[in-house]
Amino acid sequence: MINRRNLLFLVFGTAFGFLLSRAGATSPAIISDLLLFEDLRLLWVIATAVAVGGALTWLAWRFGWRARNTGEPISIEHKPFKRGLIVGAVLFGLGWAATGVCPGTALAMIGEGKGFAVWVGAGILLGAGAGSWINRRLEKD
Amino acid sequence: MQTLLDALFSPLWTPVLVGVLIGLLAFAQRWLADQPLSCSTGFANLAGRLKPGATRDSQDDWRIVFLLGILLGGVIAALTDGAPGWQGTAAEFGRFYSALVPDSTLGSAIWWLVGGLLIGLGARLAGGCTSGHTIAGVAMGAPASLVASAVFFAVAVGTAQLAAWMLGV
Repeated sequence: MINRRNLLFLVFGTAFGFLLSRAGATSPAIISDLLLFEDLRLLWVIATAVAVGGALTWLAWRFGWRARNTGEPISIEHKPFKRGLIVGAVLFGLGWAATGVCPGTALAMIGEGKGFAVWVGAGILLGAGAGSWINRRLEKD
Repeated sequence: MQTLLDALFSPLWTPVLVGVLIGLLAFAQRWLADQPLSCSTGFANLAGRLKPGATRDSQDDWRIVFLLGILLGGVIAALTDGAPGWQGTAAEFGRFYSALVPDSTLGSAIWWLVGGLLIGLGARLAGGCTSGHTIAGVAMGAPASLVASAVFFAVAVGTAQLAAWMLGV
């Protein structure tokens, strides 16, 4: 469906995929350099992104910056401590180490023509579907 | 090692520059759409839609459009980096993943698929991935995101270091 919101997120996604590639985050060799502490360039990318985001979040909160679409102050949403948080984070860390891929970079890698990432992407899709099902079961209890 | 990587994967931009741009981009989403960066939820929505008999909620289309954009960004990045296309050589994978992943076509496909399963399942159970928890959540000072990110990194680093030691690479 073509509307303003979707076009906006197409641009956001394209810019994000491009930057992940230029960061080196779509290279398995550079991911392994990070995990084995041989080249920390990705750590600096992540740390800088978080620092800039943190500073802007503080400014937005302090001066009541408003979101353009709602006209209300920009939301500062804290994700909840879910029941599966620790187990999920451990599984994620194992998959990340095993493949050198995360959900965002998988798509950028597919775009770059890295064939193996199609398998990883298919696995993420199946895993995410299964995870949503488990989440619904956990919420019911 | 650094010059070798630079030569193989050029052009890489200065880490701090890319970090600042990603931080600004992630904040622009919150400023223009009041929506923090998020990747793995989009995968869950897409999985839900691909299920037979699923009903489609067009309110969430933007999550899937965002994922499509990331793919497009990868296409543009690969077309504009002036480097030869991906061949899947051992040098491109680096010595760790070359040693870790099975050599056979079937074995490696299963390896990548199962690894992806762990990533997708883990991200949904944790309620986010490196985008939603680490880049967006930690920047907003969310305690759950700090814990999730610390576990992501601790487990990934620990597993990789142990595997590298066992493989002798």
